[in-house]
Amino acid sequence: MTFGPAVGNVGMYVAREMLAAVPEDQRQAYLRMVEEISELKYQLGVEVARQLPRLLAEHEPEAVARYLDQVRQVAAVGWKSGVEVAKQLPDLYEAPDEQLAEHYVDIIADATKGPPEDTETAQLAEELVELERELREMEPKVKRAQELKSLLAARDRRDEKRRKHAVELAAALPPILARLRPRYRPPYLAQVRQVAAADPEASLEAADTLLDLLNGERVSPEGAAEWVARGLEVLERNKEVGRGYFRLGSKYALQVLDELKEGLALKSVARVLKLYATALSGHDVAIRGTNELQAMDVYTAEHIVLPPEMRFFEDDERNFTAYKVATAHGAGRIEFGTYGFTLTAVPDLVADLRARYPEGATA
Amino acid sequence: MGVESQRIEDFRLTKEPYYLPLGNEVELFEAAYHGGLPVMLKGPTGCGKTRFVEHMAWRLERTLVTVACHEDLTASDLVGKYTLRGDETVWQDGPLTTAVKSGGIAYLDEIVEARKDTTVVIHPLTDDRRILPLEKKGEVVAAPGEFQLVISYNPGYQSVLKDLKHSTKQRFVAIDFDYPPPDAEETILKTESGVDDDVAAKLVKIAEKVRNLRTHGLEEGVSTRLLVYAGQLIGRGVTPIAACEATICKPITDDLEMQRSIVEIIATQF
Repeated sequence: MTFGPAVGNVGMYVAREMLAAVPEDQRQAYLRMVEEISELKYQLGVEVARQLPRLLAEHEPEAVARYLDQVRQVAAVGWKSGVEVAKQLPDLYEAPDEQLAEHYVDIIADATKGPPEDTETAQLAEELVELERELREMEPKVKRAQELKSLLAARDRRDEKRRKHAVELAAALPPILARLRPRYRPPYLAQVRQVAAADPEASLEAADTLLDLLNGERVSPEGAAEWVARGLEVLERNKEVGRGYFRLGSKYALQVLDELKEGLALKSVARVLKLYATALSGHDVAIRGTNELQAMDVYTAEHIVLPPEMRFFEDDERNFTAYKVATAHGAGRIEFGTYGFTLTAVPDLVADLRARYPEGATA
Repeated sequence: MGVESQRIEDFRLTKEPYYLPLGNEVELFEAAYHGGLPVMLKGPTGCGKTRFVEHMAWRLERTLVTVACHEDLTASDLVGKYTLRGDETVWQDGPLTTAVKSGGIAYLDEIVEARKDTTVVIHPLTDDRRILPLEKKGEVVAAPGEFQLVISYNPGYQSVLKDLKHSTKQRFVAIDFDYPPPDAEETILKTESGVDDDVAAKLVKIAEKVRNLRTHGLEEGVSTRLLVYAGQLIGRGVTPIAACEATICKPITDDLEMQRSIVEIIATQF
């Protein structure tokens, strides 16, 4: 069975038995009617499709048209009432009083429509719909506003943290400057200023590290500038990693430092030099860097004080030789008692010399 | 059942071993020998203990039976044991029994390395009994008046686990040895290796400096024996630095930094 081009989706509402009950020459019209009514509401189409075969079989086309009009009339004010009316009307058409169906439709339509003040409800509903539409339109703006709020709050927290670290830097810097060798102050301040401008927290780390690097002569002022420049690049990419760099807590920071380091590090040869000096002098000699002077009393123990880096020569071998010469010199002083001299020994020494070289004696 | 003994004449020294007395050790040893007293030589490795015993054996015209003690040395290894020779069981005298029977000098080198039960075997030989019981054979050998027992040990090697028991130590006359004073060591080097005065003086200087490291990670200082080896290599054309590295530096430590510092000491002389 085919329905032709006008039928559309009407097959959804019309069962095979219903269509079979419609006289064959009226089937196209039946299907069209069902389709038209179902455009108002799906449930109306279902009910009308169920009732129409009977009406088409028992009544004139005018009666069928009146049925559809009356259903539409009621459905216009309430589709649920329309469905019920579509179901009840065919039976009312059978009544002897032809006016009965018409009155029934009017009553149900009025009842569904309600009092005239309900137009206000409709207005309210319309207004609500409008507002909801506007709210939907506002949603992206609200979302953006929340984003901006969070962003500003984060910036506020960051600025607060920044101010806090700036205060800490203000307290920490003077004692560090007091410990810094005067000749390193200008390059030190220039480097710390750069880091502080980028991130005060990182500058706290950098202030300490640069003090050790410059005071300990582990890098030249130019080397320190290069080390800071590379650290600032890291800081720009990631604050936390950058702070780690400036506290020498990253492999990269140490690697850069190693690249920039000039000469031979004392710590890498300190034990060899200690053994060398101990063997030469016969005393238990300690090797100390000039950067450790604050932590020891150089006159109370057998120390040989050497620079933490030796960079007289290009190659480590000759730098080691320079260390060795300085160590041998220090070992000689320890062995022959330069630092063991006391004033109380002077009288004995004079007496000894006098005995050895008596007055009037000739060479 | 037969008895085998090593040929005692194999242990007689035919040439005077060079020894430079450093103190009264020769007189002390001779007195102990004539008094029938056992002697204990104490001192670091390579300072001349063994050479001294050889020298004294030659001087006293005694045979010298030397036993290098080790941790697997048993009392049977020293005294003797039964061994199978074809169908026959043969008693074979150990080196100590050989020395006792022949009235020679028995020298137990590094006695502390031997097992404890081994050291107890020598006790009857070290007091006034002067006997050596051969328990497995059921025999007691009385030591003749010419016999002397000498042991050596290096106090620097000892620990709580490895030390001579006091009951053993207090049976010996002890003679202390140390590295010779510089002049004497130079003389020894010149005599033993044939180096000239300058090289001998430099080698001794190096040794003196390296010995300063004994309490700084070096177990023992460089011995006179190693200096002699260095002198011998130099005498055979090896450059002094290479000879010293091979004999003074590398044998005494595996610590690379220690080796480097010793090389630097060597370089200060050559």
